[in-house]
Amino acid sequence: MTPHSLHIAPVSHVALEARMAGRLASALTECSAALPHEVSERLRVARDQALSRARKSRLAIASTAVSAAGGGTAVLRGGPAGGSGLPKWLSALMPLALLLAGLMLIGQLNVLEQIQVAADIDSQLLSDNLPPAAYADPGFAQYLRKGPAP
Amino acid sequence: MASDKELSDFLKSVEKRAFKRAVYAVRNEESALDIVQDSMIRLAEKYADRPAAELPLVFQRILSNATMDWFRRERVRSVVQNFSEFSPADDDGDFDLLEALHAVDGSLGTESAYDAVSRTQILGAIEASVADLPGRQREAFLLRYWEEFDVEETATVMGCSQGSVKTHCSRAVHALAKALKAKGITL
Repeated sequence: MTPHSLHIAPVSHVALEARMAGRLASALTECSAALPHEVSERLRVARDQALSRARKSRLAIASTAVSAAGGGTAVLRGGPAGGSGLPKWLSALMPLALLLAGLMLIGQLNVLEQIQVAADIDSQLLSDNLPPAAYADPGFAQYLRKGPAP
Repeated sequence: MASDKELSDFLKSVEKRAFKRAVYAVRNEESALDIVQDSMIRLAEKYADRPAAELPLVFQRILSNATMDWFRRERVRSVVQNFSEFSPADDDGDFDLLEALHAVDGSLGTESAYDAVSRTQILGAIEASVADLPGRQREAFLLRYWEEFDVEETATVMGCSQGSVKTHCSRAVHALAKALKAKGITL
């Protein structure tokens, strides 16, 4: 026992173990701080390699996300379909299918518009004071051609 | 997601202890460097998208697995390695831990009493004693007291119960104290 040793008050067994472990860990830290230059250099190189791999890994994750989000655009451009996972022939047909779908939609809208116009005419005729049957009357047609009497 | 700087700072903070931990396990500096390098690369490739706070636990787990992989490869090569998973006989029940603590404290804390050579020898003896611990005890001791993980985190990394961690740590401390005393660190 050295005269410089600390006087330790009675403590629990667990606390004693923790204190002992702390001293030993401190000694190990001192050992690890004094590594040879070659080892430190090799660790630095390993760290740099790991960081480089991490960058590549992040780029791969980001590019996967971008290709997933922009898959439709790639198809419309007619570019290679390798990234989207669709067969090439299907990718080539996609613009045509979209064009047909658009034309059908426009045609349907025209039909709906015509129906709306016809409905408006019908409602005006039905709500007018003149009954619709009057237009089938030859005398009334003559009256309309000549115009009202002065 | 951990940034480049966070990952770099983390690796820088942990690499020396990781190297030493691997050296204690495999007793070969070249192999230990390979293990640490593999662990760093595995962490970077597979876990770079994890938050920085998760890196310590993940890295220690990877390091443990990489060390185990090394031993498996060595077994295949029929190289004799002393990596017993079993504890030695628990015949240190009556060992005086307090006395050993005084001894270690006196040995490490009073530079004026010992010159640098003897201090280096003491540190070397401590390292050798740590390396001589059974694998699980050494892993528990280093994670718990050197990496400063709590019992739960240590149990997570080691894949065992918290009670096992406490038992391993206690046995490791007693074994180290006894070994150091036997090596004359009680001057």
